Amino acid sequence: MSKLQIISKGILKENPTFALVLGMCPTLGVTSSAINGMGMGVATMVVLIMSNISISLIKSLVPDKVRIPAFIVVIASFVTIIEMLMQAYVPSLYASLGVFIPLIVVNCVILGRAEAFASKNNVIDSALDGIGIGLGFTLALTAVGAVREVLGMGSIFGFTFADGVMPLLFILAPGGFIVLGYLMVLFNKIAKR
Amino acid sequence: MKSTLRNMVVVLCGITVITALLVAVVNNMTKDAIEQSKINAKNAAKFKVVGVDDSQAYVSRDTTRTIGDFNITVSTVVSKADDSIVGYAVEAPSILKSGYSDRIYLMVGFVEREGVTSVCDIEVLSQKETPGLGANMEREDNSLIRSIVGRDMSTVVFNVTKKDKDATFDALTGSTISSMAYVNAVETAYAGYLWATGQLNMDEEAIEAAPSGASVAHDDSYNEEPEAQKGDVDNE
Repeated sequence: MSKLQIISKGILKENPTFALVLGMCPTLGVTSSAINGMGMGVATMVVLIMSNISISLIKSLVPDKVRIPAFIVVIASFVTIIEMLMQAYVPSLYASLGVFIPLIVVNCVILGRAEAFASKNNVIDSALDGIGIGLGFTLALTAVGAVREVLGMGSIFGFTFADGVMPLLFILAPGGFIVLGYLMVLFNKIAKR
Repeated sequence: MKSTLRNMVVVLCGITVITALLVAVVNNMTKDAIEQSKINAKNAAKFKVVGVDDSQAYVSRDTTRTIGDFNITVSTVVSKADDSIVGYAVEAPSILKSGYSDRIYLMVGFVEREGVTSVCDIEVLSQKETPGLGANMEREDNSLIRSIVGRDMSTVVFNVTKKDKDATFDALTGSTISSMAYVNAVETAYAGYLWATGQLNMDEEAIEAAPSGASVAHDDSYNEEPEAQKGDVDNE
């Protein structure tokens, strides 16, 4: 598989949200607006790349039966470190992303890729897989967030274009399920062509 | 790698020790910067909420009062040029009502114009509400801030219900609990302002009777107390 294919499969064929149906908690929980979805996606992508690289490096040292706990410790440490660094040196970015960052520890996309890809491939390919899956996750969350924000608040990325009462349902959890369901159908229909 | 009890213990312990060391090093490296960034944010908010852009031309004199487990800090912002009071920036938590996840901490700016006290601006110092719902309280021009800023504080009712639209505040869409906690923090800040300006006597008995800790979250029975305090002030 070429390097480009590793990246592109994460966006289309193995899109974590629409194709693999992984990471549903953050997908439904934080996509009440496009910027929230994008923020969560980017933060996840950074952790995913770093965890894929480190897990690929230590894969031959970890006994099979303790793979999962070892990977979780590595991922949780990265998330904690990133949270502290952001809070200290980019407080404005932390203020907007801060609430999402601890959620990344329990994101099964990261553990899923550690187990399915990084623990079986070399460092470069694992990093590229992190980029591809991260981009796919970011695009999916941004799309879900954008649709929910447009329908529920009449705005996109914070820019309001429709005043008046909008259907609040789309901002709340049931609207998240509805939008995700329709986008999943649309994505799979397009991907099959 | 084949798993044996020995290599599993060694590898897990090794990974845990290395990652714990890494986290400890980064924590040590960043703790001062994190503390400083919080102080900077608080100082910037102090001047912003009373409508002052150039903090070099102004100073703040801080006084803190403790109620139960909570601190209310009132910063009197004064012009360096003529020593006149520009406004009062009050840092206050939502003592009586917790938000959806935790208490909300605000910096509320009060200004006096022609004998009327109104809120100039509000900055959220700390909140853990749901992104896209309660967390919208951090947005610059949200409906809650719009309904608070500029109002005569002596005539408002600190609630977000729509029964009396003239006196209460507009809740954030889909976030009534967060909005009520936010309004409670504003009410606490207003009590702090009244205390700092000598209009409210927060004596030892009142402090001892005040609620503390998480046990008061969503406990409406405490709502009567601030109203009673406000009533005393109005009578004065």
